Amino acid sequence: MRITDINQRERFLANGNVYLPHIVKIEKVVDETYDTRTFHFNFKDEKLKKEFTFQSGQFALCSIFGAGEAPFAISSSPTRRGHLECTVRQVGKLTNALHRLGIGAEIGFRGPYGNGFPMGFLQGKNLAFVAGGIGLSPLRSLIWNVIDNRDNYEKIDIIYGARSPADLCFKYDLDTWSKDKGINMVTTVDKGDESWTGRVGFVPQVLEQVAPSPSNAVAIVCGPPIMIRFTFPVLEKLGFPPEQMITTLEKRMKCGIGKCGRCNIGNIYVCRDGPVFTYAQIKSLVSSEY
Amino acid sequence: MINNKKINKRDIGNLLNEWSQEFTVFVPLRESGVAMLSKWDGKDTGFMDWHRNTVQPIKANFFPPMEEMFSFQKGKEGYHIELPSSDEHKQLIFGIRPCDARALIILDMTFKDLYEDPYYLPKRNNMVLIGLGCTNPYDSCFCTSLGINPGESADVDLMLTDMGDQFLIEEITEVGKELIAKASRVEEATEADEAEAREVKEASYNKVTRKIDTEGIKEKLLSCFEDQDFWEKVSTKCISCGICTFLCPTCYCFDINDELVRRQGTRFRSWDSCAFPVYTKMPMENPRLEKWRRVRQKVCHKFEFYPMNFDIIACVGCGRCIRQCLVNWDITQTLNSLPTRV
Repeated sequence: MRITDINQRERFLANGNVYLPHIVKIEKVVDETYDTRTFHFNFKDEKLKKEFTFQSGQFALCSIFGAGEAPFAISSSPTRRGHLECTVRQVGKLTNALHRLGIGAEIGFRGPYGNGFPMGFLQGKNLAFVAGGIGLSPLRSLIWNVIDNRDNYEKIDIIYGARSPADLCFKYDLDTWSKDKGINMVTTVDKGDESWTGRVGFVPQVLEQVAPSPSNAVAIVCGPPIMIRFTFPVLEKLGFPPEQMITTLEKRMKCGIGKCGRCNIGNIYVCRDGPVFTYAQIKSLVSSEY
Repeated sequence: MINNKKINKRDIGNLLNEWSQEFTVFVPLRESGVAMLSKWDGKDTGFMDWHRNTVQPIKANFFPPMEEMFSFQKGKEGYHIELPSSDEHKQLIFGIRPCDARALIILDMTFKDLYEDPYYLPKRNNMVLIGLGCTNPYDSCFCTSLGINPGESADVDLMLTDMGDQFLIEEITEVGKELIAKASRVEEATEADEAEAREVKEASYNKVTRKIDTEGIKEKLLSCFEDQDFWEKVSTKCISCGICTFLCPTCYCFDINDELVRRQGTRFRSWDSCAFPVYTKMPMENPRLEKWRRVRQKVCHKFEFYPMNFDIIACVGCGRCIRQCLVNWDITQTLNSLPTRV
């Protein structure tokens, strides 16, 4: 079983060696929350700067030389050329090292890897985006992609939640999207604070209240595993068939190309066969270790 | 029609010396009481009387336990990345067993899949394999259950059968034929030699008495995949040391890390193991934190997932994981006790 195939995979190899990173330079650092930052960067190589392309939902292996390498979703949209963005939460040795870097610093970049969102399948559909916390980052790439090709899609719902107002990422985007008349933007937090006047409630519950119609619709879900696990049943209750529910999975990865072994779920490798799966595909997997 | 060759054992040293002109020759030398694959020193042929497979599998010659991928250095113009100088030396592995030769075919599948691995494949494509049939398999060996004949192999360039004072030589590939055409002191095998070799092979086949039933094993594992009680039971004594994976000729999982000494950095890959909890550890969770899940992964990867992806079981029955296990965990016991759903 091969869930997906990767196109154009040889195109952006450094020196023909799949493990060699390209050097990219950080151009801008945006504080998203107290522990999350978005890094804007670009290739040093002029040719790559012009030619590099990817699909929303694909990821890259970023190197902080001396600290190592880790996979990050590309959070910018392929429709907005000029630079790339990755949004990184400070959770360990490598991400701590990355957070210490500022404008002008050089990091390694190899990719893009993974399958990306099925753009052809999404065309002409109503889209319901359901995201939690930093899980918005791969969806943000898709959301901007969809907005930049607005005529290709029907109704857009975005349901986004975080633990607290301080944990909301991409506030500047949330602001833009909520002002967009073509988007139904719903933001929620698990627990508010004194200044929070918005919605309070867990993402799956809010999703149930917003109740996007399953007709000609696709739900795209990304967030912490616990949120994903509670969101699928709600979508099923709303009438979404598993083929119309899409998510992107996260696993520890090292190689990014299905060789180092650790990101498997049964016989599939999240890095190579995913990270984007339909719920129907997930249900057909040998293992429930997702 | 006979076209096999033979060579007297006392001429093997000479033959290896001839080959050393062209290749870096590795032989299974006897070190501290065990067979280890080592560089041929030009003299010692003691291994000729040492009939047993090496403790370490051959994979380390193509996929070292630790291998530099590139080095990096920060200069005025930013980071500079440099590939290690490639070792162009052609390797000749003398005395590889049929199980270990098959294991390389299995490893190739992963390293060729999707993206060709730029470290493994050049080394793998730059070597010659001289197979040696087993005459004295361990009681932990179970290669015959995996379609391997301990006396024969088509996965090598030349295949040798130990007939006491001499080796029968079968030329398997064109490369092997050329090697023999250039070799001195190689004779034509007689019909009597052929008959003797057949007997040796048959005897060796019959010495492998440990069996597993591979018939429908993929389906059996699939049906008991969620049987937590079973997996907890079979993993009880495992101490998650990883030795079964490090010594397994078909295990290939690796880690990638950086080392920084002053301003000179190295990115290297090293063998990793699904036996370790950290192997799958993420900042917030770990899908295989429990030991039974890791043991299940090891068994199912070899007998269920690999067959699903490559149509071949990723086990060659070399028995190392049984012989070297500190707590006598036995994969054949696990496989032979799979609960069958009625």
